[in-house]
Amino acid sequence: MNDTVIEVKDLVAGYEGRVILKDISFAVRKGETFIVLGGSGCGKSTLLKHMIGLHPLLAGEVRILGHRIQGGGVAEREAAMRSFGVTYQSGALFGNMTLLENVCLPLESFTDLPSDARRLIAEMKLELVGLKPFANYFPTDVSGGMKKRAAIARAMALDPQVLLLDEPSAGLDPVTSAELDRLILRLRDTHGISFVIVTHELASIFAIGDRCIMLDAETRTIIAEGNPTELRDTSPLEKVRTFFNPAARQG
Amino acid sequence: MTLKLPEICTVDSVTPLWKQRMPEVGKLKAGEVLILDADSVKRYDGSAEALIIEVHRCAAAQGFSVEYRDAASVIAKTLKIFNPAVFSDHTAYDLPPRNTHTVVQVGEAAVRIWRDIVDVLAFLGEVVTSGLSFLVRPGRLRLRDTMLCIERAGMDALPIVALIGFLIGLILAFLSGSSMRQFGVEVYVADLISIGLFREMGALITAIILAGRTGSAFAAELGTMKVNEEIDALTTLSLPPVLFLALPRVLAAAFVLPFLSIFAVFMGLFGGFVVLWMMDIPAITYWQHVFNAITVNNVLIGLTKALTFGLLVGLSGCSHGLHAKRSADAVGQAATASVVGSLVLITIFDGIFSVLLFILDI
Ligand SMILES: Nc1ncnc2c1ncn2[C@@H]1O[C@H](COP(=O)(O)OP(=O)(O)O)[C@@H](O)[C@H]1O
Ligand SMILES: [Mg+2]
Repeated sequence: MNDTVIEVKDLVAGYEGRVILKDISFAVRKGETFIVLGGSGCGKSTLLKHMIGLHPLLAGEVRILGHRIQGGGVAEREAAMRSFGVTYQSGALFGNMTLLENVCLPLESFTDLPSDARRLIAEMKLELVGLKPFANYFPTDVSGGMKKRAAIARAMALDPQVLLLDEPSAGLDPVTSAELDRLILRLRDTHGISFVIVTHELASIFAIGDRCIMLDAETRTIIAEGNPTELRDTSPLEKVRTFFNPAARQG
Repeated sequence: MTLKLPEICTVDSVTPLWKQRMPEVGKLKAGEVLILDADSVKRYDGSAEALIIEVHRCAAAQGFSVEYRDAASVIAKTLKIFNPAVFSDHTAYDLPPRNTHTVVQVGEAAVRIWRDIVDVLAFLGEVVTSGLSFLVRPGRLRLRDTMLCIERAGMDALPIVALIGFLIGLILAFLSGSSMRQFGVEVYVADLISIGLFREMGALITAIILAGRTGSAFAAELGTMKVNEEIDALTTLSLPPVLFLALPRVLAAAFVLPFLSIFAVFMGLFGGFVVLWMMDIPAITYWQHVFNAITVNNVLIGLTKALTFGLLVGLSGCSHGLHAKRSADAVGQAATASVVGSLVLITIFDGIFSVLLFILDI
C-alpha cells in the first residue's frame, strides 16, 4: 500500500447538497497514468475539483500521499495541497503575466528561494515542456497547445509527485495532442510523476493510460475500472466496450 | 571549495545553500576548482536541479572548473535532462528599468494624453464612416441595442444625476450667497445659479457622471468581448464592430446627455431654491430671477456642450474597449483609460467652447 499516491474512499461529490457522484473509491499508484473517462457533464471535473479540495466533500475521504484533504486539520490539508499540481480545463494561465512569471508564481508563494533561483527553476520547467524560447511571451500570444504545456509547467513548479490534468488535449489537433502525450510519458519516466488525466481522446487513452475508471451520468458512479485495452476487449458492459471501440458501433 | 549537497536535497535544504553558498561560488575565479559533492543525495527536486545548473552556468561564465562526486548519478541525470548552455542568457528577461523621474513621468503623461486625443479623433472618423454606411442601409443599426444603451446610460442614471445636481445647486447657492449677502444682494444668487447651471455646470457634471458610469462600462463590455474573441466573430460575419457595437453606444451617449443635463439643471435650481428660501428670499422672487436669466443662447450653449461631451464619452469608452489587449488586466486598464480620456477630452473641449464663446461674444 506504500506506493499509493492518491486514495479516494466512498466519496460523495456534489454542489450544495445536490449529489453529482456517489460511491467513488479508487487508488492511484506511484508512477502510473490514471485516466478518468465519461461523457460530458457526468462529473469528471467535479471529481477532480473535489479531490483537490476546491469544494467540500459531501462524504468520504480523499488522501494525497497519505494526507487527508478534508477532515484532518489545517496542517494536513496544506501538506496535501502542496503535493499535487493541477491544470484546469480552460487553461487558467494568468493573462497579465508572461509564461515565466506564471511558472514563478507558485515558487514565490510556497518557497523562500532567492529570486534568481526561482527564475532559473521556472526556466527549467519551461525547458522541460519545450517552451524556454517563449518564456517572456504572454499567454494570449501563444498557441493552444503551448498554453496547455505552460499550464503543465506551472503545475510542476513545486515538483509535485502527482499531476492532475483536466482535459489537456481538448481543442488540440491530433499531432499536438500526441506531442502532449509524449511529454506526459517523458515526465513520468524522468521525474517519476503520477498522472490523473481526464480525457476523451481514445488515441491518448491507449497510448498513455495504465489504468482508467469510467464515470456514468445515469448511475452517478464508476461503471468500469481497469486497463483500457482489457476493458475494450472483455468488459461485460456493452456501453464500455462501444466507448473504446467506436468502429464496432458503426459496423 | 566544496559544495556538498545534503541527503534530502529539496527546497527546504536547498534554500539556505542558495542564499549562503551561491554568493561564494559567484566569486570563484578562472583556474580555481569547485568540488560539487552529490554522493550522499537520496532525494532531490527541481530546486536541486536548478542549483546544479546554476553551478555550471557560473563555471562557464567565470572560468573555474567543476569536479563531480556523483555516486548516486544525480548530477549526470540532471545534465542529461537539462543543457546548462540553454540557460546561459542570464539577464535576457530583465524588464527595462522604469524611469521614474518626475519630469519624465509628466512628459510621458502628456504624450499619452496627446495620443489619447488623436486616437479618439481617429475613432470618430471610423464611427462617422460607418455612420454614413448606416445612412445607406439604415437596417444595419441595432436599434434594440441603442434603446438598451439609452435606458442604461439615461434612465438608470437619473437618481445619481438628481442627487448630484441638487447638491451642486445647493453648494453654488451657499458659496455665492454668503458673499453676496454682505452687499445685501443675495437675490442675484438666483441669476448666477441659473446662468452657471445652464451654460456650464449642468453639462459638465452630467458628462463626468456619464464618463464614470457609462464610458467605463462601454470600455469593459467591449474589452471583454475582445478577450472572448466575440469581436473577431463579428468581423468574420462581416459585421464591422464599429457599426455593430460602437455606433449604438456612441449615439446613445450623445442622445441622453442633453436630457440628463437639463434634468441636472432643474435639480440644481431646486437646490438653490432651498438655500435662498432659508435666507428668506420669497419663492416668487427666486423663480422670477431664475427665468429672467434664462436666454435662448444660454440654453442652446448648454445643450451643444452636453451633446459634444456625450459624444466624447461614448467615443472614448468604445475606442478604449475595442483597442484593449486580450487579457483580464487589459480590460481593467481600458476602463480606467476611458474615464481618464473622457475627463481630459471634456476639459479640453470645454476650454475650446469658452474661448470660442468669448471671441464670438455670445
Ligand atoms: N460549480 C458548480 N456548481 C453547481 N453545479 C455544478 C458546478 N460545476 C459543475 N456543476 C454540475 O455538475 C455536473 C457535472 O459537471 P462537470 O463535472 O463539469 O462535468 P464534466 O467535466 O464531466 O463534463 C453538471 O451537471 C454541472 O451542471
Ligand atoms: Mg469538465
